[in-house]
Amino acid sequence: MAKSPKTKNSAGGASGSGDNFTRWLVAGMVGLVLIVGVAFSLFSNRTNTAATLPSTVKQSDGYGISFNSNVKPVVDIWEDFQCPVCKNFESVVGDYINQLIVEKKISVVYHTLSFIGDESILAANAAACASEEDKFLPFHSLLYQTQSAKENTGLWNAKSLVELGSQVGATSEKFVSCVNKGTYAAWVSNVATDGAKKNVNSTPTVFINGIEIDRKTQYFDLAAFKAALVAGGLKG
Amino acid sequence: MKSKFLVFQPWITLLFRLILGGVLLAAGGLKVGHLQKSAMAVRAYEVLPISLANLVGYSLPWIEIGIAIFLILGIFVKQSAIAGGVLMFLFIVGISQAAIRGLSIDCGCFGGGGQVAAGKTKYLVEILRDCVLLVTALVLSKFPRGKFGLDR
Repeated sequence: MAKSPKTKNSAGGASGSGDNFTRWLVAGMVGLVLIVGVAFSLFSNRTNTAATLPSTVKQSDGYGISFNSNVKPVVDIWEDFQCPVCKNFESVVGDYINQLIVEKKISVVYHTLSFIGDESILAANAAACASEEDKFLPFHSLLYQTQSAKENTGLWNAKSLVELGSQVGATSEKFVSCVNKGTYAAWVSNVATDGAKKNVNSTPTVFINGIEIDRKTQYFDLAAFKAALVAGGLKG
Repeated sequence: MKSKFLVFQPWITLLFRLILGGVLLAAGGLKVGHLQKSAMAVRAYEVLPISLANLVGYSLPWIEIGIAIFLILGIFVKQSAIAGGVLMFLFIVGISQAAIRGLSIDCGCFGGGGQVAAGKTKYLVEILRDCVLLVTALVLSKFPRGKFGLDR
């Protein structure tokens, strides 16, 4: 780094060549830590191709957990289990979407983001574990019903998520170990990376057939949401 | 008058170093644990291409922390102040263009960020704060020698 010539006559403490060494030493250490930090940040936010994926997940779907892949309309929901607005969205349209999925009238891809923090990662991982038990939808609903009013309070941890799983019938040893081990943690990170690439800047973000619906009018109004689905090809 | 300035200047420099360094340390520190959110905040400005915005989002908090540590310890104060000033200038430009284009975003300066409800923006306060910090950085780049610094 370029330096201006030193001016000894300006104010300051005692001078000495040892201090100059200290200066470079400290600068070097700070620089090293920062470079490692940046490198780690970039690396950990890259897609991990070795990640264990839940079985319903395809990379082509943006790593989302998908239901009924061959039906139109296709609904992509980007959400964070800790996001209060996502809870609103779920409370308005959640039951309706679940019903349409069961009736195989729409395809839905759930992208579980985790930008709010560690408990979002734990919840998303547990949801993927529940998906392996064919219990994603009830678990998804239950997570929003039990969402904490504040973020990252410790409400969701391995123990409580196992307990929530048991309430919807995910009781297998595989589920318990999946939640405890964070089997799908790398997948959760991949979902986040994919959201970053697709410019998803808030949650929930909902696309119907690849086009975002109108945030002001179509998210939190069941009739308007239904109309958007019909416009996207939903039949009766 | 001149001599009085010479007495106070090192203390003013120290104070400004701590202000600019402290703000940058807080800004970087609050974001560095939430890099996804940080990248989201940068994307929401709708200035940079997505991949570049993500790169900035992941690395900017570290850069802020680095400049902050240099300023607080008083290492390479002149260069760090210039770097901090450039950052502030870019932040002012970024926030101003968001305001002019009518985007509804939080600046994400201290974590958070991304889209907010219309009418919940605080562009004026954010710009004024960054202007004050820009002035601080300019003064530091002009008078980098101060009390309790490793520079000499």
